[in-house]
Amino acid sequence: MKTATITVVLALAAVAAGCTTSPERSRNLADPNVTGKTLAQQVCSNCHGIDGNSVSPNFPKLAEQPDEYIVDQLTRFRNHRRADPEGFEYMWGISRHLTDDQIKGLAAYFSTQKSRPLAPGNPKQIAEGRTIFDTGLPAQGVPPCSTCHGDHGQGNGQFPRVAYQHSDYVIKQLTVFQRTDQRPDGVAMKAITHSLSDKNMEAVAAYLQQMPSK
Amino acid sequence: MDMKPRSLLSLRATPPAINIAAGVSILRTIRKEIARKLAAGALAAIALAPLLLALAPIDARALPVFARQTGQNCVACHAGGQFPELTPYGRMFKLTGYTIGERTLPLSMMGVITATKQKVNDPALGKTQDGSLVFNTGSVFLAGKITDNVGGFAQITYNNYDSQDPNTGAWAGHSGSDNLDLRYADHLIDANRDLVYGFTLHNNPGMQDVFNSAPAWGYAVVPGSTGVGAGMTPQLDGGLGQQVAGIGAYAYWNKMVYAELTGYRTGNGLFSFMTQGNGGQNYYKGTNPYARLALTKEWGPHNIMVGMTHLDVHQYLDPTDFTLGTSHYRDNAIDAQYQYLLDPYTVTAMATRIHETIASDDPATVAPGTVNSLRAKASFTYQAKYGASVSYFNLTNTLGQESKGWTPEVFWTPVQYIRLGLQYTMFNKNDNMIDPRDPSGATILDAKGSNTLFFYIWGAY
Repeated sequence: MKTATITVVLALAAVAAGCTTSPERSRNLADPNVTGKTLAQQVCSNCHGIDGNSVSPNFPKLAEQPDEYIVDQLTRFRNHRRADPEGFEYMWGISRHLTDDQIKGLAAYFSTQKSRPLAPGNPKQIAEGRTIFDTGLPAQGVPPCSTCHGDHGQGNGQFPRVAYQHSDYVIKQLTVFQRTDQRPDGVAMKAITHSLSDKNMEAVAAYLQQMPSK
Repeated sequence: MDMKPRSLLSLRATPPAINIAAGVSILRTIRKEIARKLAAGALAAIALAPLLLALAPIDARALPVFARQTGQNCVACHAGGQFPELTPYGRMFKLTGYTIGERTLPLSMMGVITATKQKVNDPALGKTQDGSLVFNTGSVFLAGKITDNVGGFAQITYNNYDSQDPNTGAWAGHSGSDNLDLRYADHLIDANRDLVYGFTLHNNPGMQDVFNSAPAWGYAVVPGSTGVGAGMTPQLDGGLGQQVAGIGAYAYWNKMVYAELTGYRTGNGLFSFMTQGNGGQNYYKGTNPYARLALTKEWGPHNIMVGMTHLDVHQYLDPTDFTLGTSHYRDNAIDAQYQYLLDPYTVTAMATRIHETIASDDPATVAPGTVNSLRAKASFTYQAKYGASVSYFNLTNTLGQESKGWTPEVFWTPVQYIRLGLQYTMFNKNDNMIDPRDPSGATILDAKGSNTLFFYIWGAY
């Protein structure tokens, strides 16, 4: 009985300690006092990685993404203006009560991380992807990706960084742009990807994942 | 949506009801009243589910309570959105004390309708074996984030086929405490360190684990599943479920090493709320240790875990007379799990090997010996809607009640809170089952006579 009493007292002490948690380690998505950096570390890092280099290709890498792009996408998730399945399944709810300041904090955190290249793929695919990235496919009316995403795929403003992105994620999003209207922000991409074949998408995704130096 | 339906194993592990004094019959009446109301509530929930689904806006699909808390779909925490297999994120959600998200109405319900058809069914067992569609179990969950560091879940389950009147053959329903897990957790993470640590109070060894190869989550988890037949399962496989209170400490370092130490004691006195309604209370001597070590690795869409568990239990042979001594169970387990998660496919494969030695102060009451359990399962989902699994069990011992077999399953989840499934359990061995067709009770049933087809409709909100 004595042991039981001590145990319960310890348990209650633990609960009490929980009531006085540090806001630097909060996982509360409805508290505007929790900073974007804390949410990035305590919540977002579980899928996107502590430094924005996600392990699973189900989740995009956020490291070095342009600040403006992250703010734009999180705002779209919060306002339900990006409706690809993974977008609403994972992001609508988790972003529903983010404040503008928290979104800015999240963007500042991830945009200043260092993106790392992923494992190289098939050399033939990479070479083909590099051609599409640098020169496009004029015969199919596909402009070079580098025009908007930068010579090194580094992104620019509302155009995302694509260098070192997971190839599976790139293919998934190209498919969303090409075959659905779930990302109205990507209306330009719908036209650009219109005539891309599956093989073209796989090639450019393989190139971006590793992005060998030119 | 971390919900563990009460498994057949935990039901089977429940000790037989003890005859109680007439004065307690009033309490029984009250209990039955509560049980009837729970059953009515669960049935109403199932009946209303399609209406609720039709009315639900798209962003409210992510229910029950944990999904409401994070705002995310079930697929975030469960592989392919299917219970119980957790994704790496689902494991972190549990390890960080169910505290990601925001506080919300901490209530969910679950109901299961089943039909079980045994190849050679015992007419005396009525609807539990003859293929009739029956309301099997209903559960109420109190769950979710309490503070930034504290959260948990508590499940109360009504089992509509809990016990059978030996004279009339009529089945009676009954409610009892089911799985419970209350946690305090913290996560120290920055560019240089990643450490989750926490404390857990729970009532079923293994249910606090985040890997699906823990017996509490891995095998035959749909209520009413056929289970392992006559084979003897070790204590680590549900033997202490809802009989004990466990307090443990754990740490998960760099998403690589998970370590836990928990002590279990009899779930009576202050802890009796964790074991209520589960028949007679087993009594355990002192604090019984449980140790767990697991190594994990993630790469690309893959993740893997290899682990080991030790459980050491002294159970009093007679709950009313401790002078008769104890039986002593020592369980050592190794387990492994592999997952592949890349939309729209998921694969989860796992295996658990448990070796148990039993010593006893009175061999006439509990025979000493060894028990060996090998269980494995692989499940596959597509588009978070369609799935299949196959599980294997092989239970041997030195005591003479063994079983071996396979259970393939297919399932369909039209919306994330309803799942329909069909299982068929094929026994290669199922010792000493009596053939119900022989009134003398002298004929042993061939193992294949226990083969069982099992259909279920699972719903939760």
